[in-house]
Amino acid sequence: MHDLAYDAIHDEIVVTSPLTQAILTFRGGADGEEAPIRVIQGPKTGIQGVGATGKVAIDPDNNVIMLATPAPRNEILFFAREANGDVAPIRKIGGPDTMLDNGSQREGGGNVPAMRVDPIHNLLLIPTLGQRGSNGSGGRVLIFDRNASGNVKPKAIITGPVRTGNQFEVYGPNRLLIAHNRDALELWRIPESGESSEPPLRIPAPLGRNSADTGIALDPAHKEVIIATAAGNTIMTFSVPEVFATAPSTR
Amino acid sequence: MRVRTHEVVMAVLTMTLIATGGLVLAASAPPAAPSTDTSRLVSIQTMPLSSPDMCAWVDPAELTAFSSQIDEASPDQTEDALAAFRRGRPGAFLMASLGAPNILTSLQQGNLYAALQQLTSAGSSPLTALRTIRDTHPTYSAVAVDVNANEIILQDNNLWSYRVFNRQDNTPAGVELTPPKRLVQGDKTALQFNNGLYVDPKNGDIYSVESDTGDKMVVFPHEADGNVAPKRILNTPHRVYNIAVDETRSELFVTVEYPPEVVVYSKDAGGDTQPLRRIQGDATGLDAPHGIAVDEKNRLLYVTTWGHHSNFRIPGTGRFFPPAIKVYSLDARGDSAPLRVITGDRTQLNWPAAIKLNPDTGDLYVANDINQSVLVFRNAATAQGNVAPVRVIKGDKTRLRNPTGVALDLKNQEVWVSNLGNASATVYPLMANGNVAPLRVVRSAPDGKRSLNFGRTAAVAYDSRREQLLVPN
Repeated sequence: MHDLAYDAIHDEIVVTSPLTQAILTFRGGADGEEAPIRVIQGPKTGIQGVGATGKVAIDPDNNVIMLATPAPRNEILFFAREANGDVAPIRKIGGPDTMLDNGSQREGGGNVPAMRVDPIHNLLLIPTLGQRGSNGSGGRVLIFDRNASGNVKPKAIITGPVRTGNQFEVYGPNRLLIAHNRDALELWRIPESGESSEPPLRIPAPLGRNSADTGIALDPAHKEVIIATAAGNTIMTFSVPEVFATAPSTR
Repeated sequence: MRVRTHEVVMAVLTMTLIATGGLVLAASAPPAAPSTDTSRLVSIQTMPLSSPDMCAWVDPAELTAFSSQIDEASPDQTEDALAAFRRGRPGAFLMASLGAPNILTSLQQGNLYAALQQLTSAGSSPLTALRTIRDTHPTYSAVAVDVNANEIILQDNNLWSYRVFNRQDNTPAGVELTPPKRLVQGDKTALQFNNGLYVDPKNGDIYSVESDTGDKMVVFPHEADGNVAPKRILNTPHRVYNIAVDETRSELFVTVEYPPEVVVYSKDAGGDTQPLRRIQGDATGLDAPHGIAVDEKNRLLYVTTWGHHSNFRIPGTGRFFPPAIKVYSLDARGDSAPLRVITGDRTQLNWPAAIKLNPDTGDLYVANDINQSVLVFRNAATAQGNVAPVRVIKGDKTRLRNPTGVALDLKNQEVWVSNLGNASATVYPLMANGNVAPLRVVRSAPDGKRSLNFGRTAAVAYDSRREQLLVPN
């Protein structure tokens, strides 16, 4: 599993079951061999792929669960949070204007990028993979209105290349995209419009043994960044108040 | 009285800049900067309600400390500023920043991001983890018995090793662990996420397959020890789980979890040698195949499946089927349907992992991971449908914990089990049934150990309600 989401508003855990093309939602306090409270699966869902279903994102404010489809479809499917069973997406983002490039499936392999929402600025951030390589050689990050639908152009683009690993995070109050890349945390400023080529702020955060293939989570209350490294079978927590700092206003 | 952090930060910024504004502006503000009232340099800003920052607190003593530091400022304090920032000391951070004009200018402009860039571009020491979660003990995914050498081999997919023990080792109570007699581990070994194990009964060669990142089968000589290269490497498909060998025909079978298939190689295959044949296709019912066993006497092949089904090329084809044992001709190829299927609630199958056949009795042993049991099915060559196992090893006395590996020692009439969940192997009489204590236990961790069961921790989420980390495998 390459991604999962915790919905603090509704106290739910959302994961995918890649081999069965399903989205599973569990109680936040689920424990042991506990059945999911909802399963989105079936022909109407349009869910496709294996690696492509390894990533999932949520927008709890808007009661939405998001999933990408691999190239050549290159869509983002939006499901109602409370959907259950064989249900169609409530909307999609897809088409040539979107510039989405989710990467191809290779005999069931090939991972689509993770997606994340900035609830403060109503944004949805979607890295591109495609020809730039899966999981890490770096690509652009497309920034959409989180309520966008259809063949829409991104509002802004981080040209990168941004290496997001399996997961990246967004800290909305500071308009930051945070990823771990090559033994450093990278903080990318999320632009309001246009293409931004501003380099990231890099904070060295070496993971030691086998640092490849990482995931990331934020704990703003304690100003901590949590990094998972697959190859090291390790979870490391760093204190990084820089990410959560509050900027003074000049107005 | 306690006050909120961001308010303190804002207040400190305001006080500092008001108090020092004249001096600082004279030193660092660009000439074109508009003349402003010092009281407007910084304002207290209402933060978004959803900002988690709102919940952080700071002791008012910080302000007192800050006041005393104002008189102790020193030049060029960029590193000090970063260190103070990371320690959550806004006063010290501000003071240090006074000695770094660029940082202060950025702060005056309300551009925290630029200020932080100034800080980090000055060269900061690497972060060190506050906390690390990692299992330092092995996680045993598979077991094999070398009856000729009187040894057992345990496959470790946490630390990427295999460990060899004497068959009669038994870790006494009160002893932390039993050291292995040989340990194969290190970058030269090419071991990673290793799940499947086979010992050649003729020469003791040890075969290992793995499930994710390496896509290799590696073969070591019996006496291998340390960080040594394998004697042979076979490039395999992605997501191989387990291995079995038809010694009569020198054919090697591996299960591939997805896209699901059984791939058959010549036993001596290496490099990019292509398979002799493959069992794959919708008719096969190979829905996430895992364990595999060869029945040379009856020319049959047994495969455990978890029931996870889909065609990745076709949207919406995902299904959940019950776990099963599926039986094929040993010569099956292509889109061959199983000859028989053992499945249903009476079987107790739940994430069935490795399986082994006793050719003398026809009993099929199943390491039944989530059910914390070992199931034994009688007359495997003919069993089908919703049949109950003839014997079940299960219960608190067994010391089973997520059993995923099983091996039979027909010479000594014992069944070995590797426990993913407690860094141990346990051994029972071949005919054991019920809640029975093991004959011996080989532990590689203190008694009572519960393994993390981390298996490729590629993602993480934070449960802010419970302040818990969610870690998928």
